[in-house]
Amino acid sequence: MDNWKDNKNVFWTLAAPGTFWLLVFFILPLGFLFVMSFSDKAMVNGEVSITDYDYLTGITNYIRSVDPLYLTIIWKSIWVSALATLLCLVTAYPIAFGICFASERWKPLLLLLVVLPFWINLLIRTYALIAVFRTQGYVNLTLGVLGLGPYDMLYNNFAVIFGLVYVYMPFMVLPLYATIERLDKSYLEASLDLGASQYTTFLKVTVPLTMPGIITGVILVFIPCLGSFLTPDLLGGANAIMIGNVIERQFKAANDWPFGAALSFMLMYATFAALMLRAFLAKRSAGVDV
Amino acid sequence: MADQLKPGSGPLDYGNRLWLKILFGVMYFMLYVPIITLIAFSFNTDKRGVVWRGFTLDNYAKAWNNSALIEAMTNSLMIAFIATIISTVIGAMVALMLWRFRFPFKGAYEAFMGLPIVIPEICMGVALLLFFNETGMMGAIVAMPWPLNLANIIIAHVAFCFPFVAIVVRSRLVGFNRQLEEASKDLGASEWQTFWKVIVPFMMPGLVAGALLAFTLSLDDFVITFFTSGPETVTFPVKVYSLVRRGVSPEINAASTVLIVITVMATILAMKLQAPEKSGKG
Amino acid sequence: MSHYQSKFKSTRRSLLKGTGAMIAGMTFMPRFSLAEEEKKLNLYNWDTYIGEHTLDDFNKATGIEVKMDLFADNDELFAKLKGGNPGYDVIVPTNDMLERMIKADMVIALDHAKIPNMANIDKPFQEAAFDPGRKHSIPYMWGTLGIGFRKSKIEGGVVDSWKILLDSDKYAGRISLLGDAQNVIGVTLKYLGYSFNSTDAAELKKVEDMLVAQKKNIKVFADDNGQDLLAAGEVDACQEWNGDIIQVMAEDQDINYAVPTEGSLVWQDTMAIPTGAPHPENAHAFLNFVLDAEAGKHIAETIKYATPNAAAKALMDKSYTENPSIFPSAEIVAKCEPSLYLGEEATKVRDEIWTRIQAA
Repeated sequence: MDNWKDNKNVFWTLAAPGTFWLLVFFILPLGFLFVMSFSDKAMVNGEVSITDYDYLTGITNYIRSVDPLYLTIIWKSIWVSALATLLCLVTAYPIAFGICFASERWKPLLLLLVVLPFWINLLIRTYALIAVFRTQGYVNLTLGVLGLGPYDMLYNNFAVIFGLVYVYMPFMVLPLYATIERLDKSYLEASLDLGASQYTTFLKVTVPLTMPGIITGVILVFIPCLGSFLTPDLLGGANAIMIGNVIERQFKAANDWPFGAALSFMLMYATFAALMLRAFLAKRSAGVDV
Repeated sequence: MADQLKPGSGPLDYGNRLWLKILFGVMYFMLYVPIITLIAFSFNTDKRGVVWRGFTLDNYAKAWNNSALIEAMTNSLMIAFIATIISTVIGAMVALMLWRFRFPFKGAYEAFMGLPIVIPEICMGVALLLFFNETGMMGAIVAMPWPLNLANIIIAHVAFCFPFVAIVVRSRLVGFNRQLEEASKDLGASEWQTFWKVIVPFMMPGLVAGALLAFTLSLDDFVITFFTSGPETVTFPVKVYSLVRRGVSPEINAASTVLIVITVMATILAMKLQAPEKSGKG
Repeated sequence: MSHYQSKFKSTRRSLLKGTGAMIAGMTFMPRFSLAEEEKKLNLYNWDTYIGEHTLDDFNKATGIEVKMDLFADNDELFAKLKGGNPGYDVIVPTNDMLERMIKADMVIALDHAKIPNMANIDKPFQEAAFDPGRKHSIPYMWGTLGIGFRKSKIEGGVVDSWKILLDSDKYAGRISLLGDAQNVIGVTLKYLGYSFNSTDAAELKKVEDMLVAQKKNIKVFADDNGQDLLAAGEVDACQEWNGDIIQVMAEDQDINYAVPTEGSLVWQDTMAIPTGAPHPENAHAFLNFVLDAEAGKHIAETIKYATPNAAAKALMDKSYTENPSIFPSAEIVAKCEPSLYLGEEATKVRDEIWTRIQAA
């Protein structure tokens, strides 16, 4: 890796557009919201104002957000997302692996076929999922022919996890594809030649070599899962609330933007802590550099 | 390079394993059952799409004559197209920078790049709404003629898309053998030539994956678009969201089917155009 | 990463406060300086909530081209306009949201001289508690919140109490409630004999306990698709808006709608002009047009909600005016209450209760 001072022109050319875009169109807007998270609704004529705020009044919103009520919901969101991410990884890996080892002619098509369902609007897709899995849906109709069911497959935590896996699949497949594709197949051959079984080769060679892709995929799936609200809303039952739903409500029905902002930042801090931990562990093992 | 080793016969020829083929079939089937249902129901005469009542093309005619729907679709495709190009370029540049250079506070910079991925969508939507309102960009841009009035939405989409591209491209670059670069320079190629002839081809799968991801994200985004759009700049997801609250009509299914056909054709065309370059690297 | 944020804090703060006025000027000045308004109008409405050719008729009558954009619920409408009006001229908020928007100066006072058709409004709707003197709004449609149910699956085939949804395990796993705090808590208050708009902590506590206990029997809190769940056989009874159930009743004879005897919510959707509307003249012309007898009749025919437009109602036939699902009896209406805007604190209290119920 070069020191940036060795080639300043190239460094700045590469760094400038992204940094500018992120600073102006992301960090700056987010700053408004960050200020908001330390603010409160203003009092006007003895009443709490609907649209005005007193800025930078303190950390009341953060205190409210560590109430056990919200911590329970955050914890639940974490394990639902973790389960969904794991399931996603387990299903996406063979797909990405298969695509990479398919013939050149089929590769682009297979890749396209994975992404294609996701060009249909999330909401429409979720409704289609409901049509397939509801009590009188096609799965139950098919099972009915076999003399089974009908089963209640929707409106529970299982449905939410399944829905999340379905929704975020390409976020796992694409990074996995990108790393497995560049996997040096001679390592696999060497491993096999030296007498390791396919299974051992996979666990000891393939998985470690594709770890960057796995980690990227896990991040890309886990984090959006954590903030999702539409899927739990539509597929979850009476118990399915996730932190994304609470946040969404603060910005809409409850009209409590400061609290919504504080909850969002809490979620971000948690994710950041996890990412830092990962970076720290990665550095210690001094293995892959993502 | 690795992929010059063609997957031939033998232990590595996973493409021909029966169990993998079956697994593949099952996975794709799972992915496609809801989509097939959706497409099938776009030909259904039943208004609520609950039961099959008969074949019709009326829904397509209705969708075609629904100018608001067509306009929303055009907006969506336009936005996704431009946002994908910009985010792929910017994202790739950031990935290259992070891969190639060592600089102070790199860890912090990487965390900073990860922010748009980390933040809940609604939070970013509201932040951008505040920003566009406070800076006057909302009023100024929404009043411009098409397609300039889409600028707000495109800016927002690029902001959350390019970090995704960067992360995907970067995980591809990790495996790049710097000796290839040096070899190229030793053989007399300039920095620029090396970049185009050696690094870009190596990045290509990452770029394709990143671009597909960006396109998907942009085309499907509802929350952020909702907060950054005006009355003249409604996109397909925003339209759909307000429509399906009272149930999905087959008209929407028809429109979705059309949208998917258009995007597939465009992608296949793009891949065809790109094909000669690809064959070069095997 | 916090050091990134703190560096910008002071500048952002001033930005937040200082630029507002400048921006407002920049945004709206050119539009208002036009002597004659351009022949355009931006309507922000609910889906399927206008006559099939009302907008064309209006265009023929006035030459004004209407562009309709849709929102899915009141909260969306509010969130979108709260930061500033991106260019809408006419909006369609429900009464309690209108009340909130009036308090926040988000809608302008109407010039009644420009809306002569206000005379067509039915007597009881000429005045409104949430908008005294109808200064800011015209009534558009009204209706009730009740129970949609599948006759063959419900014992006796009739429903007359909220009990089956709120306080009974008879239909465990076969019932759904709405997905928002205000309306679920509101009807539970009604069931317990209190006011829909109660802010009494003890009464709200009883509501919370009842709903937490009942939760195991509820299949789903359905945002706005209870009628679909009912039509698809997923639930046997659901809490829903009358208009949504009427739609599925037309397709399925087995479905019916009832307002429980404990009383319920009576709502009113209104039309108003948001602050900063670029075409206020055209907006007034549009409000006037909607209140016209013929135009009102066409709208009511299409969307089949109860119209407060007396002149239009007089032109409708009996299948509409005497439909009890559309126009409930005076006796039922008397037991219903409108939802009031209770202030930001009360909204917060209800939101927390709602979160606790969902997380329980």
